[in-house]
Amino acid sequence: MFYREAGQFKTSYAEYLQALPLREDKVGIAIWLLLAVFYVPFFGLPGLEYTFAMNAIMIPVLIFTITALGLNILVGYTGQISLGTGAFMGVGAYACYKLTTYFPDVNIILIILASGFVSAAVGALFGLPSLRIKGFYLVVATLAAQFFLEWCFIRVEWLYNYNPSGAIEVPQREVFGIVVTGAAASPATRYLVVLGILIFLTIIAGNLVRGRIGRSWMMIRDMDIAAELIGVRPLRAKLSAFAVSSYYCGVSGALMVFLWLGAAEVESFDVNHSFLYLFMVIFGGLGSITGSYMGAAFIWTFPILLKELGKRVFDIDSIIMENVSLVAIGMLIVFILIKEPHGLARLWQLGKQKLRIWPFAH
Amino acid sequence: MKDTKESFVTEDGRHIGSVIMEMRNITLRFGGVVAITNASFDIREGEIRAIIGPNGAGKSSMLNVINGFYHPQEGEIWFRGKKRPSLRPYEIAEQGIARTFQNIALFKGMTTVENVMTGRQLMLKKNFLWQLLRIGPALDEEVVHRRRCEEIIDFLEIQAIRNSPVGSLPYGLQKRVELARALAMEPKLLLLDEPMAGMNVEEKEDMSRFILDVNDQYGTTIALIEHDMSVVMDLADRVVVLDYGKMLADGTPDEVQKNQAVIDAYLGVEH
Ligand SMILES: Nc1ncnc2c1ncn2[C@@H]1O[C@H](COP(=O)(O)OP(=O)(O)O)[C@@H](O)[C@H]1O
Ligand SMILES: [Mg+2]
Repeated sequence: MFYREAGQFKTSYAEYLQALPLREDKVGIAIWLLLAVFYVPFFGLPGLEYTFAMNAIMIPVLIFTITALGLNILVGYTGQISLGTGAFMGVGAYACYKLTTYFPDVNIILIILASGFVSAAVGALFGLPSLRIKGFYLVVATLAAQFFLEWCFIRVEWLYNYNPSGAIEVPQREVFGIVVTGAAASPATRYLVVLGILIFLTIIAGNLVRGRIGRSWMMIRDMDIAAELIGVRPLRAKLSAFAVSSYYCGVSGALMVFLWLGAAEVESFDVNHSFLYLFMVIFGGLGSITGSYMGAAFIWTFPILLKELGKRVFDIDSIIMENVSLVAIGMLIVFILIKEPHGLARLWQLGKQKLRIWPFAH
Repeated sequence: MKDTKESFVTEDGRHIGSVIMEMRNITLRFGGVVAITNASFDIREGEIRAIIGPNGAGKSSMLNVINGFYHPQEGEIWFRGKKRPSLRPYEIAEQGIARTFQNIALFKGMTTVENVMTGRQLMLKKNFLWQLLRIGPALDEEVVHRRRCEEIIDFLEIQAIRNSPVGSLPYGLQKRVELARALAMEPKLLLLDEPMAGMNVEEKEDMSRFILDVNDQYGTTIALIEHDMSVVMDLADRVVVLDYGKMLADGTPDEVQKNQAVIDAYLGVEH
């Protein structure tokens, strides 16, 4: 009932063009931020054991939110489709591993952010077919990229420093004397680093999609012929979307291995994961930043919470619950595709809309 | 009709400039289908040029040739005194040519004002780094162009729908938003493919008024395709008539109306 535009007059277009024009939205985000920075690192999540809350929920959710943001730029904002997300994350992870091998003294956070550029270059390269092919055929092309890269992750031994196990094992790295990666890094530290990078990348994504570049993506998505007629170069628009998207995926892949898993091999980057990330984006809301957050959080935590629920309340075996949650997610995806193609983000928006005009029905 | 390249003043006192675009012996084929056969005409600065003809006459194809979507097998296109090489549509946009479509081609995922804002793409110059920071010059630029878009929205009297998603708008308004988007490009030459198709009388009158105002206030040269002859007679300075891809006539509305070939092929029969 306090969610109102009334009385908040915009005195300039600059104010109008803000990311969150409504004061209530600003307050809402501020509360989330305060909780994320001052509550979660110390107390985890209410009702859950601390390390479990951090390692099984918070850290992966934040990392996958970066993935979802990246994939959403490609799928939701530019209308291209990709089943290569898992592999592009792998590129970021292996790049990070190689970079920190060669430059062990460079700040690992900078290395993680730099490894995204390797992934961006690879993503742009595999985005080249999108200039000629669309829809189903592009899916097949990105799937080919996925399998080719997976093959590289196994066969190119240089990538994992000829480790006989075929895995990359994260070395310990410190930033300003604080252990950030490796077994000795505390969950709170790892969480805060991931959170910082996520916030940074969210702001950038928000800026890009509201400006010239984001508009060129959406123009290509909605009507590529008209876009070209207005001066958008399809090559530039599509490849920039592939590059930016893959940058996000690469950074999230590096974070996944270095700040969450601690070690990884090709299975962590396989096509099943690509599908999982696509579900996050579709479920959360195509072409929505908020949706990327919601989708990643929902798709990741739903099975975990369901498993916990089954164990605690009904004493059901966790294997069974895992299958139950798979079926439930599948049904939910079908449901959302039919009922609300714009995902959770739209439901959230509609909810806010109702609040704005409350107590009137329309 | 004058053959000179010089500018002149029409009977009703309108200033018509020199030739800016000239189509010379254009022939366009799709496999066995000949869409345009050896058509030649010019467009003069500041005029409203109509292209008329029955369905399938090759009118839209002609605009697509001007736009660079289609590349004719034969013929030359001269633009501003130079022979134009084969260009991509986005390069032609850079030369100041804008266009609306027969079947509306709006960006369905965006609102009215966002659609209009896309027309400013080429004028937004700040690079990627500025775009991702979205501060200082990048934001200033956005604000300046946004203001201009709001003016165009006011001009076309679509303020009420500025924040509506365009997909849900009625047909007539969508056509108007598409015109707004084209105007946002501040084109030198504006191509309108049946801007009044499917409109009621009132909407047609509004649209006619906007077209005249655009031509008058911004000096925009306009080439339009239109079926309604009374509209064409009111708006156009000169008319090209196409039939089965061939040129039937080229002249002022009066001349064209009196042309026997045109009467036989087109005006005489009901469409
Ligand atoms: N892309 C295309 N491929 C094949 N044939 C086409 C294409 N575009 C137009 N044509 C053909 O060219 C002819 C002229 O079409 P068009 O320019 O749309 O006519 P108009 O706009 O005058 O109604 C028609 O016979 C049409 O079928
Ligand atoms: Mg047509």
